[in-house]
Amino acid sequence: MRKSFVSFWRKNRAAAKLAILSQLEYRLNFFIDAYFQPLITTTVEVTLWYGIWSQGDFTTLNGFGLDSYLSYALWATFVARVTTNWMYESMMAEDIESGKINAILLRPYSFYSFYLSQFMGYKTFVMLGTLGIPLAAAYLFDLPVTFSRLPLVFVLLFFYLIFVHTVSFFVASFGFFMTRVHSLTTGKNIVLWVLSGELFPLDLIPDPYRQWAIASPFASGAYVPVAYMTGRVEVDAVWRAFVSVAVGLLVMGGAAMMMWSGGVRRYAGTGA
Amino acid sequence: MIRHALKPCNLEIEAGQIIGLVGSNGAGKTTLLKLLSGLIHPSSGAAEVLGFTPWKREPAFLKQISLLLGQKAQLWWDLPAADSFRLLTEIYELEPEESRRRWRQLAQRLRCEEQLNIQLRRLSLGERMKMEIIGSLLHHPKILFLDEPTIGLDVVAQETIREFLGEYVREFRPTIILTSHYMDDISQLADRLLLISRGEIVFDGAVEEFVESRAGLRAQGEEDLDFEEIIREFLEEESRRR
Repeated sequence: MRKSFVSFWRKNRAAAKLAILSQLEYRLNFFIDAYFQPLITTTVEVTLWYGIWSQGDFTTLNGFGLDSYLSYALWATFVARVTTNWMYESMMAEDIESGKINAILLRPYSFYSFYLSQFMGYKTFVMLGTLGIPLAAAYLFDLPVTFSRLPLVFVLLFFYLIFVHTVSFFVASFGFFMTRVHSLTTGKNIVLWVLSGELFPLDLIPDPYRQWAIASPFASGAYVPVAYMTGRVEVDAVWRAFVSVAVGLLVMGGAAMMMWSGGVRRYAGTGA
Repeated sequence: MIRHALKPCNLEIEAGQIIGLVGSNGAGKTTLLKLLSGLIHPSSGAAEVLGFTPWKREPAFLKQISLLLGQKAQLWWDLPAADSFRLLTEIYELEPEESRRRWRQLAQRLRCEEQLNIQLRRLSLGERMKMEIIGSLLHHPKILFLDEPTIGLDVVAQETIREFLGEYVREFRPTIILTSHYMDDISQLADRLLLISRGEIVFDGAVEEFVESRAGLRAQGEEDLDFEEIIREFLEEESRRR
């Protein structure tokens, strides 16, 4: 038991390291993905919230002031950068479409675990490298953030990453049935851009849609962690988010497993 | 219309044999290789390799086999081969120091030690293939499936790989199932020949046996052909029939 856990850990640690090494081969790509894109998005969102405030005749919106929205915009873009999966989903889909998957299928390592470890490794690297920016900005501009809430937020984010990867695994498995699945990735990520709360805080959605949006597992991709850090919600919302992600993981895991088994059965060993 | 890539066939392969699978394009040799390695599921039928059903892909089975596809890189493109070997060491649960020693030894034999720390994408096709071979042998597979391991390589690289595989087989006695369009690969390495045509095994026997059987078909006084020419003649006949 102990030996199998050690070997499981070493295997996954090696895959995570491989992901980091591969990404460092393309430093400019990494810089754009991890720093440039969230900086641009934050700038746009902060400008928008300033614009809304300067045009409107109000001092609070939905009970929160401009500082709260600026802090939300700042954190949400960086957190969502961590919780969004474009690159590894595309890589998984491409592996299936092109037959590169052969290299994993015939090795004693599951495709799901291989990419989960890479995804987690890369995202941890991105998180450590980029979250310093919103931390510094929040400190410098005195934006509302409760730093003591950060540890629980990180736990939720890591749990959510497993869910995100499972969704990506499900989407990529369409590669067994379709020639190109990139449009699915694009569509899914646009929907998540809204449903995660990256674009705006989900508590601005009118009822009853607000309750549904906040209860969905996707809200843990930005809204719940950021709203908790910036004081828009309390810890009970985080516990509900854990339950929601767990349920989402079960449902998505089942669906992904069905897609994968069906796909592998019809797979023709492309490229060989 | 349903076209069968591989028709029902019975085949038994003993441990330590080197099987050369030969046939024209689309004959079904790669399909057979993919089935036996577990890469694809058959529409019907059964197969047992090392006591396992290959397409169930149980870890205990996968630890004992290796599939090398000459037309598909299986190591990581952006990384030096040595980094990929480190990952393979963990995947196959090998002892790191012993594994490192092994890949260095194999690289020495293949004359490519200096390329171990260069990213795969920067290597020539021949150098890449040598790295792929090392990666596929790292865990001492009992069965090695080789799909056109010398395709696209220059004559020197082909010869190096052939020599290496010959030595490796003599030393470690793995079972090898090999497909190639280069008949030198087959004639120099295989001790059993399987000729496949239109998804059917049309000859199963020793290389010499096949040469003799074809020689018997030739008219008296006709010039003797070497192995490559005999196979080519056979494949041409098959192509015409298709």
